Amino acid sequence: MRAETARYLASRLVTSALIVLGAMLLLFALSALVPGDPAVTLLGPQATPEFARQFIREMGLDRPLHERLWLFLTNVLTGNLGTDVLSGRPVAGMVLSVMPYTFVLTFGAIGLAVLLGVPLGVFAATHRGSLADNVLAFISVAFIAVPSFVVAILLLLVFSIWLNWLPVLGAGNADDLWDQARRLILPMAALAIGWVGFIARLVRSSMLEVMAEPHIRTMRAYGIPERLVTYKYALKNACIPTIALLGMGVGRLLGGAVLVEIVFARPGLGRLIYDALSVRNFPVVQGAVLVVVVLFVVVNLLVDLSYSAIDPRMRRGGAAK
Amino acid sequence: MTALLVSIRGLTLEARTARGTARILSDIDLDIGRGRILGIVGESGSGKSSLASCLLRLLPANVTRLDGVVDFAGTNLLALDEPAMAAWRGTRIAMIFQDPMTALNPLFTIGTHLVDVIRRRTPGLPRRDALTRAEAMLERVAIADPAQRLASYPHELSGGMRQRVMIAMALLAGPELLLADEPTTALDATVEAQIVALLEELRRDIDGSIVFISHHLGLVAQLCDDICVMYGGTVVETGPVAEVLAAPRHPYTRALLACEIDQDDSGRLISIAGEVPDPIARPPGCVFAPRCDRAEPRCRSEAPALRVVAPDRRSACHFAETLA
Amino acid sequence: MTALRPLVQVLRQVCGTVPGALGFAIVLVVLGAAIFAPWVATHDPDRLDIMNRFAAPSAAHWLGTDHLGRDLYSRLVHGASIAMAVALSAIAAALTAGTLLGILAAWMPPRGEAAVLILFDVISSFPSLVLALAIVAVFGPSTFMVVVIAGITLTPHFGRVARAQVLTLRSAPFLEAERILGAGLPRIVFRHILPNIMGPLIVLASMDIPVVITIEAGLSFLGLGVRPPLASWGVLIQDGYQYLSDSWVPVVVSSAALAVATLGFTLFGEALRDAVDPRIRQER
Repeated sequence: MRAETARYLASRLVTSALIVLGAMLLLFALSALVPGDPAVTLLGPQATPEFARQFIREMGLDRPLHERLWLFLTNVLTGNLGTDVLSGRPVAGMVLSVMPYTFVLTFGAIGLAVLLGVPLGVFAATHRGSLADNVLAFISVAFIAVPSFVVAILLLLVFSIWLNWLPVLGAGNADDLWDQARRLILPMAALAIGWVGFIARLVRSSMLEVMAEPHIRTMRAYGIPERLVTYKYALKNACIPTIALLGMGVGRLLGGAVLVEIVFARPGLGRLIYDALSVRNFPVVQGAVLVVVVLFVVVNLLVDLSYSAIDPRMRRGGAAK
Repeated sequence: MTALLVSIRGLTLEARTARGTARILSDIDLDIGRGRILGIVGESGSGKSSLASCLLRLLPANVTRLDGVVDFAGTNLLALDEPAMAAWRGTRIAMIFQDPMTALNPLFTIGTHLVDVIRRRTPGLPRRDALTRAEAMLERVAIADPAQRLASYPHELSGGMRQRVMIAMALLAGPELLLADEPTTALDATVEAQIVALLEELRRDIDGSIVFISHHLGLVAQLCDDICVMYGGTVVETGPVAEVLAAPRHPYTRALLACEIDQDDSGRLISIAGEVPDPIARPPGCVFAPRCDRAEPRCRSEAPALRVVAPDRRSACHFAETLA
Repeated sequence: MTALRPLVQVLRQVCGTVPGALGFAIVLVVLGAAIFAPWVATHDPDRLDIMNRFAAPSAAHWLGTDHLGRDLYSRLVHGASIAMAVALSAIAAALTAGTLLGILAAWMPPRGEAAVLILFDVISSFPSLVLALAIVAVFGPSTFMVVVIAGITLTPHFGRVARAQVLTLRSAPFLEAERILGAGLPRIVFRHILPNIMGPLIVLASMDIPVVITIEAGLSFLGLGVRPPLASWGVLIQDGYQYLSDSWVPVVVSSAALAVATLGFTLFGEALRDAVDPRIRQER
């Protein structure tokens, strides 16, 4: 039993490491494959020739490819994500300073989506076939289908501009928690809405599946109150696919966060990448993308661990999946 | 005859299927004596499990018709509303299921299952006290190392052990009526024998009546007081086990007995020639007539009623008297 | 004509439900607008009319005009063409690549198969938009890059379904017979496998259309996809968003068009899946 668990976790770790390594190689390849003069691409056409030459030497761009790859890999492993071309600040520091904003936004959105989606899904499942169930099904599809940046813009228009209930842009005053929270509401809602639909649908279908299982019949045969049967016994089973969905969805969520951060002019990883992109500041893009990938891999590992916390059968090894 | 606990009259169950309306149970009359063990036998599809589901009123969503009377100690269960019926489950009626592999929730420990069943009877009992009770009950159903088993998850237990847990669950509920739906079918022969031995040993401790559903006549003969033979959604013969098996008053019972003698190695029934009747297109007249070697023209047109053919014995055959 | 009969039957089943019928209607409208854009549009989508900026909807400009006085309705209609062109090219690319990889994976030795599956896992769980940003950073924004990015993102969907279908087919008696008769892999693939797996793949393709539309609009909105002045929906939304303080009409109208289109295609795709094969689950 123990050996299987260890082997499963080891294989997950190896896969995760492979993903990160793959991303690093890809990013390196992209930077090496930049068509045209790397200095022009990275510095823009405004750079003076002297500055460009100096820059090339400093960045090690005149060295052979394999040396540059080795340098890149070792640098990343020691936490050195390179240097911002424009300001000369270390990229790692820039990324770290905006990371909390993206963290709060994405995890807040997941929390909100779970908080709304799970009860809606359970309600739909326990009222199967009713009008409410059908309406919820349609709303779920609508929530899933409409892109989050469109939701973001419409929320902004309605709640900030027309109703003037909530402040428009930015993350708010750093010292004013209330202000920050108020400015978080709309971006969080915009990002969460699609996931409310996803989760509600998935919880509904998994609940229906679980409710038809013999062990639920057992609990009913013993007169265990329906409330307990639904929320204790069935819901825990129905949560497993939902967690899997969230694990797979983190990548999408981070992508959505980029767009939402830009619509609401919030600082964050997405904003950082986007701003760097518009001035072709490739080292910043490279570093930030790498951090997003690592974040994504870590969250996926956490999801795997939480499986075995919920499902005792998983503690035996990778039985499910 | 002893006092009755349950008296079923005219129980009819229909369900919607893709092919049409299926009549699962047709005009069932059946009595369950207080403190008796009633064995229900019949081929698969005869409606024995559905009958048990009707007693608990745990029916699938496609049921379109449920008629008749299930009189349980003076209360008609079929007339109760859902909350009132729920109050009966796990207190006065309990059930042991066929497949112990799937009857327990894989994500909860044995202890959690048992605690909730105990709290059903004793609301608000602290978890520790409930666990102590559960442990004692596990010991009684001969589970080794009960304290550790309470913390185990279902998948960590063998099939026989899980069925013992289900039995413990039933005993903790202390019902007046215990339904056991083929409790040994999913187990291998050795384990089956152990579970039957356990049930025999426990029958002294159980105050209430037991309905033991099986397709294994030998088991019923070993364990039960009364027998009810079902075929095609109807009751064809009832009576005390010893008498019925010694001198069946229905051709189907005879055929079942003949099969039992020709049992194959696994102990399963070798089926009688012909097919079980299609619940969607039931034959007119006697349901068994198409497979009956004694069938006469009357059998194909006129359905025989279940009638008293001897003291405590009923049969649904036009020629019950001539069979003896 | 007989080949059309199953198609008609499936469409009838799709329209049998309210969401399915609604989705099919929206799909028809969007496709119609996309194909007949030059005739459906009332104006040249690129003609400027600076005197007539932010005109309110009227008989002349059904949905009003944008910040350069261009007719919004006509731009939306041309946006449909762009969205459809991008969606169909990306899906065609992903369908081809995914099906080939999937069939190969099913026929490869276990190690090779595992490698392909890991590749699929990595691509489909990767933050693709973020990766797209990195790619665009290097190659610069273009419509072609949108097709490439969307194509890569969708390849695993088709690959997984194709592989699963081949695995279930491989033991089918008629293939067994072909193999014993000595048929080569290409013959088996083209004569038997492809015709048999096309159904599920087409359903999947229809379900992926809204995904591509969303990717295209998102990238174009960021200025990283289809470039202005081309009237992609994402570009229209970005234009409207820029001038939100002047008029809310352009942003609302173009957002609504995008939202209705993605919703319509999603509803249609799901109804199609239910009609063709309820067993295919979403592969995302």
